[in-house]
Amino acid sequence: MNGLAAELNAVSKRYRYFLLDKVSLKLPEGQIMGLIGANGAGKSTTIRILMGLVHQDSGEVRVLGHRMPAGQIAAKRDIGFASEDMRLYDSMTLGWHMNFIRSIYPAWDAAYAQALLKRFSLCADQKIKGLSHGQRVKSTLLLVLARKPKLLVLDEPTTGLDPVARHEILRELTNVMADENRTILFSSHNTQDVEQISDVITFIDRGRIIDSMDKEIYLDRWRRLRLEVPLGTQLPALPGVIDVQQQGRLAVATANAFVPDLANAYENSGARVQCIQNMTLEEIFVANVEHSREEVEA
Amino acid sequence: MTGSIVTHLIRKDLRLHRLQILLTMAAGLVALAILRQTGEVPFVLGSTWFFVAIIVLGSMLPVATIVNERKKQTLTFLMSLPLSSMQYTTAKLVSTLLMFLAPWLGLLLSAVVLIATRNPASFGIVPILLILASLPVVGFSLILATALVSESEGWAIAATIICNSSYGLVYYLISRTPSLTVNWTGHVAVWNAAVLRFLSAEVGVVAVIVGVTFLLQSRKRDFI
Amino acid sequence: MLDTEYTEYTQMHGGLTLSQSDKRPMYLQIMEQIKMQITVGDWKEGQPIPSIRQLAVDIGVSVITVKRAYQELEREGIIVTQQGKGSHVSTIPGLGASLREQELQQHLENAMRVAAQLGMRPKEVEKRLRDAGERLAEKETV
Repeated sequence: MNGLAAELNAVSKRYRYFLLDKVSLKLPEGQIMGLIGANGAGKSTTIRILMGLVHQDSGEVRVLGHRMPAGQIAAKRDIGFASEDMRLYDSMTLGWHMNFIRSIYPAWDAAYAQALLKRFSLCADQKIKGLSHGQRVKSTLLLVLARKPKLLVLDEPTTGLDPVARHEILRELTNVMADENRTILFSSHNTQDVEQISDVITFIDRGRIIDSMDKEIYLDRWRRLRLEVPLGTQLPALPGVIDVQQQGRLAVATANAFVPDLANAYENSGARVQCIQNMTLEEIFVANVEHSREEVEA
Repeated sequence: MTGSIVTHLIRKDLRLHRLQILLTMAAGLVALAILRQTGEVPFVLGSTWFFVAIIVLGSMLPVATIVNERKKQTLTFLMSLPLSSMQYTTAKLVSTLLMFLAPWLGLLLSAVVLIATRNPASFGIVPILLILASLPVVGFSLILATALVSESEGWAIAATIICNSSYGLVYYLISRTPSLTVNWTGHVAVWNAAVLRFLSAEVGVVAVIVGVTFLLQSRKRDFI
Repeated sequence: MLDTEYTEYTQMHGGLTLSQSDKRPMYLQIMEQIKMQITVGDWKEGQPIPSIRQLAVDIGVSVITVKRAYQELEREGIIVTQQGKGSHVSTIPGLGASLREQELQQHLENAMRVAAQLGMRPKEVEKRLRDAGERLAEKETV
């Protein structure tokens, strides 16, 4: 029933000190995709190429049916973009910005805009230069949300915000989900936020996509197994286990393709499985990045 | 949506920078007021101030409207709107030129009127006045183009310095060109061939600068 | 969403909040809380429940997580989803009671597993269980 809101196909972009290497990505309509990666991994570059703000060196980009960057004018009519390095005009008020956007986008929902002003505790008459960081971020998001765009592309929407502001924004993002025709792509360092609201998680590191899949399936694949290893027992190298840390008789195995048989395999080798733990997205993030970097270097 | 996106951007710029425009115009008008006084000192003071007002406006505007978009990081906000980099370039060129030419024209006309009413006997100076006053327009378009294409404050300032330091020399050369100055002490404004050629050359240069700007902007692959 | 609509839904699923300190997957927490609502009788047998998308919006989690929770609940026979008609609590009579039983069973099995790890024999566990029951009875009479 749903098409793709956005698609990147083997997109590459070379900068002096950085290479975005054949990035491929599918963003299904009606879903929320969380893009995670370390600083400098290529999240912002990928997003800018998606928005048509940066022209890729090779590869195809399609957003809402338009080829980018050629179709960027039409695409941007239905995209709401906010990035962490974006600023509004200091000397003007939030209300002026709201009118400015409203005059350009016919789909502006004035009632919703007023509701957002209240929910975000913002004052339309206030000049942008008088706002705190959190208020400024919320103002930018208000301008993007009140238009009810089909696709929301957000580069670090909650970075640097206090917990209350973060919560307010996440709430609004999940409210967007009520309409199954609307899609969100957001990048974040905050793995907790990504874990909570994403339907799909995409991992990017050093210019490459290392994982992109359904969040529940992804989280389900990762486990930490705490093992007790009797003296003289050698732990077997098992498929799906990417790291084993052993100190004395205790070992911790990290698996990225867990199946129950894995635990049995360890038991059969003589080790005792003390417990099998799920991993938070943050733990997965770190383990994944370390693992993928080792692989590249090998 | 009323009007095209380019119109919206132009209106936005006019709204954002209206204070600067008014201040410069005010400075120019003060200059003209001084010129109304008779005497050599007021004449020198007034005319210098008059040109300074135009030149300052011409140097300050491109930085304010173009370089600051990048410095203050509002460029990303604008580019998230449904527009192409060409539309952005058009809007910036038009709005900045408007913001410069409107006060420029106002000042020029005031000067002409002043001469016509106060000193009709020296009306012959008007063609030269036009040539001299048009030079900052050429300089301005160069600074504007540099700011747009380079997106760098450094380059814009460099262009400004080059232009501003050239005016003096060019003015001197013009005053030493007989074909241009032959009629300037008369009481009739004479538009001879030399004057017309010079004026059309100025227009031509501006056109080329604008054309090259569009060309260079269209080849940019990383707009942000 | 209008504020009035919001209050209606809080009445329906006021209990559903996810705990960040709970290390279990979110979908399991959701499942558990839904089962709890049924066990205590807040959600009755046969009662319609929010659609996957609606619940996702209300709790503030991804649609896919709620979808998984609903799928597992359906597999366990606790809820029923009908194409085009939404979802509702199963009409199995005594669902609340059977869920309670399942919970007890789960606790007992966990206890046996821990006992086995500690090397305790079933007889010892039985004694411990009886002691615990007596302590509980004492507390309640006080």
